[in-house]
Amino acid sequence: MKERSVIHFNVADFAVSVERVVDSGLRQCPLIIAPLQAARAVVYDMSEEAFRDGVRKGMALRRATKICRGATVLAPRPALYQKAMTAFLKEVLNYSPLIESGFADGHLFVDVTGTHRLHGPPPDIGLRIRRHVRTHLGINPIWTLGTSKLVSKVASRLVKPVGEYIVSPGDEALFLAPLPVALLPGLTRQELRKLEEFHLTTVGALAGLSRQQLMVPFGSRSDYLHDISQGIDDSVVSTSSLTTTQTVDCEQSFADDTNDRQEIEAVITDLVSRAGQCLRSRRQVARRVGIWLRYSDGSHVVRQASRRVGSNSDFVLHNLALSALQRAWTKRIRLRSCRLVYDRLHKQSPQLLLFPDKGVRERRQEKLLGAMDTIRNRFGHQLISIGSRSSIAGDVRSTIH
Amino acid sequence: MKASPGKVDIIIPAGPKMAGASHQCTLYVGTCGYSYTEWIDSGFYPANTKNSAMLGLYSRCFSVVELNYTWYQMARADAVARMVDRAPEHLLFAAKLTRTMTHERAADWREQLVLYCQGIAPLKKRLVAVLVQLPPDFHRTIDNRNYLAALLDGLQEFPIAVEFRHVSWAVDSVFAELERRKVSLVTVDEPELPGLFPSLDIVTNPALFYVRFHGRNSTGWRSGNMQKKFNYDYSEEELHSWTETYIRPMAARADCGMLFFNNHVRAQAPRNAQKLVRVFAAGKRSLV
Repeated sequence: MKERSVIHFNVADFAVSVERVVDSGLRQCPLIIAPLQAARAVVYDMSEEAFRDGVRKGMALRRATKICRGATVLAPRPALYQKAMTAFLKEVLNYSPLIESGFADGHLFVDVTGTHRLHGPPPDIGLRIRRHVRTHLGINPIWTLGTSKLVSKVASRLVKPVGEYIVSPGDEALFLAPLPVALLPGLTRQELRKLEEFHLTTVGALAGLSRQQLMVPFGSRSDYLHDISQGIDDSVVSTSSLTTTQTVDCEQSFADDTNDRQEIEAVITDLVSRAGQCLRSRRQVARRVGIWLRYSDGSHVVRQASRRVGSNSDFVLHNLALSALQRAWTKRIRLRSCRLVYDRLHKQSPQLLLFPDKGVRERRQEKLLGAMDTIRNRFGHQLISIGSRSSIAGDVRSTIH
Repeated sequence: MKASPGKVDIIIPAGPKMAGASHQCTLYVGTCGYSYTEWIDSGFYPANTKNSAMLGLYSRCFSVVELNYTWYQMARADAVARMVDRAPEHLLFAAKLTRTMTHERAADWREQLVLYCQGIAPLKKRLVAVLVQLPPDFHRTIDNRNYLAALLDGLQEFPIAVEFRHVSWAVDSVFAELERRKVSLVTVDEPELPGLFPSLDIVTNPALFYVRFHGRNSTGWRSGNMQKKFNYDYSEEELHSWTETYIRPMAARADCGMLFFNNHVRAQAPRNAQKLVRVFAAGKRSLV
């Protein structure tokens, strides 16, 4: 198999970096980004200075401002971060079409294998992109080079918040061996705890165990653990974030924690309408929804519901989301946030059926949603909504993965 | 197979000014970097060569290599030690100084320098020089002179070669200071463009002279694209002429010379390096 060259770009504290580009006066002070109007706002992002003072993502803003008293607090501007991310992506697209990106988080994997004749050696590509992005966008990404996403990702964790790291092909296992297992991506908290119980603190110690030995405590995860400890990662740089096989992801943080069913269902309805509009605009249908409920005590529950036939109708997606909500909402504790992720997407068939499979009611709903989409595209999403929905306060964040 | 491929001893006959016996200078020919996938496509490395096998294959043709990955990232002792362990015994190394001390000078460059010295320590006696390549915008100003002096002080435990890219450094006082410090001035072959440091046959360190062939692609030089900048194929005539004009005069004043080709595109660097070795061999025969 041909050796791959995968570059990982990572802009540390992306939202902070973008805000500092917009207002250079923010460069000298600690910065916290969090919703300002919400009573129970949590930290969305923070600068390195605030991080050093102990501020963390997801921490209550009240606590964060107590820990870091001199910090400037700004409300998040997801649209601005998405714009910056698009510009970053555009720059990187000059070098390779194989790019995997997150949603406005400053992370990009770029597979530059085979581009050497056009663009030169991979380290030069990494450096050139970083220079260009720094000059033109004002942000300074870390860049790391390895033969896989795993290796380049771990390397970028070593050089944060600035720097670069090149792991030579063939050196993967030796590079990983002395590092703490916590640096490996994709391990759950329970797995890390179990590794600690076995005194497997370094990747090298983990690599010393065979698949069979790992099978006993880790079961079906033993193969994954064995491979990553050896630096083996065949996962491709997935361009799904740039193509049509995306997920649709919407999230709502409640201004105040709540267990009011009516309010929560209203939020679900709003999130569904946004997801539905997004799917229809892409001419896609979804077959599954996942719901993430985050409780006041910090715990969270994830459940899902699926159907055999994909749909992009708000009415169908809403029923699906309510089924998932039913499964997820088992505690009496108040909810802090709710997130819906629609996946198993595929293209809406352009082929019309000989005999219509929809009843009059469905056809009327389809026309209604089409009309609503037109209005929303022109005048904004909030202008029109389906009845019985109460008004929603706070920002809704839609993400595309 | 030769014990030290790419190594040439040349004898300079005693001239009218040289009293006594003739002078011998040992020349090592190599390339700037060795790890290029493009060199597989171009046939210098066999098809399907793994990156980790390249150094071994390279050392079948050459006895010295200039490490350029140390320019992209800080040298790390563990990685350097692994590379040295894998390298055949006859292979010598030159190591480029990290860009955070030359092209993108960091505020904490003194700490970077300490890290760099620790990073290249495993090269030990196989290190022929630390290459300090200074960018074209590094002009001869008071600040830059002081900075360079501090940098050279910090590297004094190693043999050093300095490459200037700006013409303002081509003055006698600079050469005298390098001579006093026993630092080698890098002689360059590059396109004849305004502002660039000229090709000179000056030897500032009798123990070592250092040459870098960048190619003469004047249209690609300032393109910002390495594939254009270093795309040049030296002809035998050009190399022969260069040998007579620069290398022989320098070899007469030094014990050792390092000659590196930087025109890596389409494996022209190793091919031209081998061509230069053949030019030397032909020169030897003609002397005999």
